[in-house]
Amino acid sequence: MVVALLTVATAGCSSIMSSATSGLADNLTQAVLDQNDPETVRQGAPAYLLLIDGLIADNPRNPGLLLAGANLYSSYAGAFVDDSERAAKLSLKGRDYGWAALCRSDKKACGAWSAPYEDFERVIDGMGRKDVPVLYGAGAAWASWIRANTDDWSAIADKARVDAMMQRVVALDETYEDGAAFLYLGILATLLPEAAGGKPEQGRAHFERVIELSGGRNLMAKVLLAESYARLVFDRELHDSLCREVIEADPVAPGLTLSNTLAQEQAADLLGSSEDYFGD
Amino acid sequence: MPIARSLLSMIVAFAMCPAVEAQSVRLKIATMAPDRTLWMREMTKAADEVKERTEGRVSFRFYPGGTMGSDSAVLRKIRIGQLHGGVVLAGSLADIDPDLEIYSLPLLFNSYGEVDFVREKMDEVLIGELAAKGYVSFGFTETGFTYLFSAKPTRTFDDLKGRKTWMMQDDPVSLAIVEAAGLSPVPLPVSDVLTGLQTGLIDTVAAPPVGAIALQWFTKAKYLTDLPITYVCGSMVVSAKAFNRMSPEDQEIVREVFGRANTTLDGTSRSDNEEARQALVKQGVELVHPSDATHAKWEEIAAAATDRLVEQQGYDPSIMAMIDELLSSYRTRDSSGTSGN
Repeated sequence: MVVALLTVATAGCSSIMSSATSGLADNLTQAVLDQNDPETVRQGAPAYLLLIDGLIADNPRNPGLLLAGANLYSSYAGAFVDDSERAAKLSLKGRDYGWAALCRSDKKACGAWSAPYEDFERVIDGMGRKDVPVLYGAGAAWASWIRANTDDWSAIADKARVDAMMQRVVALDETYEDGAAFLYLGILATLLPEAAGGKPEQGRAHFERVIELSGGRNLMAKVLLAESYARLVFDRELHDSLCREVIEADPVAPGLTLSNTLAQEQAADLLGSSEDYFGD
Repeated sequence: MPIARSLLSMIVAFAMCPAVEAQSVRLKIATMAPDRTLWMREMTKAADEVKERTEGRVSFRFYPGGTMGSDSAVLRKIRIGQLHGGVVLAGSLADIDPDLEIYSLPLLFNSYGEVDFVREKMDEVLIGELAAKGYVSFGFTETGFTYLFSAKPTRTFDDLKGRKTWMMQDDPVSLAIVEAAGLSPVPLPVSDVLTGLQTGLIDTVAAPPVGAIALQWFTKAKYLTDLPITYVCGSMVVSAKAFNRMSPEDQEIVREVFGRANTTLDGTSRSDNEEARQALVKQGVELVHPSDATHAKWEEIAAAATDRLVEQQGYDPSIMAMIDELLSSYRTRDSSGTSGN
């Protein structure tokens, strides 16, 4: 789940970056997303994080750069950093870049992240179609920070805010990044079993929507359907067939290659532990 | 020399029976806790320790995330032998013995101090009752006090008039409270509560602070009435039939290890709720403090609900008397212990 939640955050960088001042950042982001060797990204990303920090220091008001920072920091922390303290630190930086981008995008959003929930929701509901990239990017970075801080009830409570942001994204433009916001909504709906208040079937519908909107190219959606839904409802047949489908698929797709390659690794892990989970 | 004897018998058993699996006991346990939660981590750790110390004779197979269904489905599966045990709410254990519901009687406890004082004596009595019905329990794990969360402040009892109050389906305690209070409850499955709050189908719910956060109910019910209504806890139970297939020595190991895991989780839950409460305030939830008159009115309603439950559920009067006695001795001793925190 960790990898899944965070790598989907990287989607979304490239389209925002076109409006950014730096073509270099744009090209680098695209290169990261299109990389089919995760190890290269693992080793090379820290240099890029420093570069992004430098670019933001030069252009602290550029929402495109801030979002690139949010995405890169949170994705790197979630997908490639095993040390939980480092992951928490890096994802915090990602979250804060996301907040800054939100604030640059809409003055009313400045500080709304720590306002009472009601006020925050009002601000989010007031945002329009032009804000979709920042809503998605900041929401995704925030989700990564929550994931790195699940022992903190204040962080857990913030998932309601991520939920509100992703709901707003799909209400404004459900096709944004092939529906990637639905992945977050799907994860949120499948955190708990139905008898404890979860919404597994709604989660399934969310994941399937991404599969549909991406024409089946987003392999992480299938991995999440297996991991978050099929395991929750104890459907081994669905689980195993999704994992096999992902493993056998061609991971190369514009903007999704890195995420798909990681999805394949994760599918192999899930399939490997399937007997432990589902067997007698 | 019982130790030497058991060592000897172990050596003999190994020598004679290399296929240890043939004698091994694998307990299938269902739980609502999702995979990879703290709960599952503690349980898995305990299972690993048991497996090691019993040299593989006792192992556990957990079914996390409610995959085996609701508490009542889990208990049914235990009865027919499809499962050996489960982690369920104490209230659900009323199917086995009604007394297991007593801790969740309305306003029974005013504070965690009272809870701790009563549980120190009564937990083992209730565990004994379960044992008499053929179930082994390793202790109770706190979920916490439930509080009212509402879309508008609930200061006085009259504020509840005309409210659309959610009630857990098939829960006799909730039903007795709403009936005694003369409220019109809206029964919904727990998974429909958030939508119900969002659409206005309901506007008042009861939940522990951790639940209000995990289920995001606080987003639409931002007033917390600071009066603990019911105390919720759970327990891991194993059918004695399955448990007794282990040697007495192995049973002792399982009791010790899972008893310890239970104590850890019981304590964690307390601090989780305290942190959750602070987190709720940070999210903009407002605490509403009921007046003394309102408190008295609640006590009156709780007493009526309790009378009705005693009559209808058939609790053991001696158990009720023991709890009452413990509570009054605690309250006499510590007359200031009514904060509810």
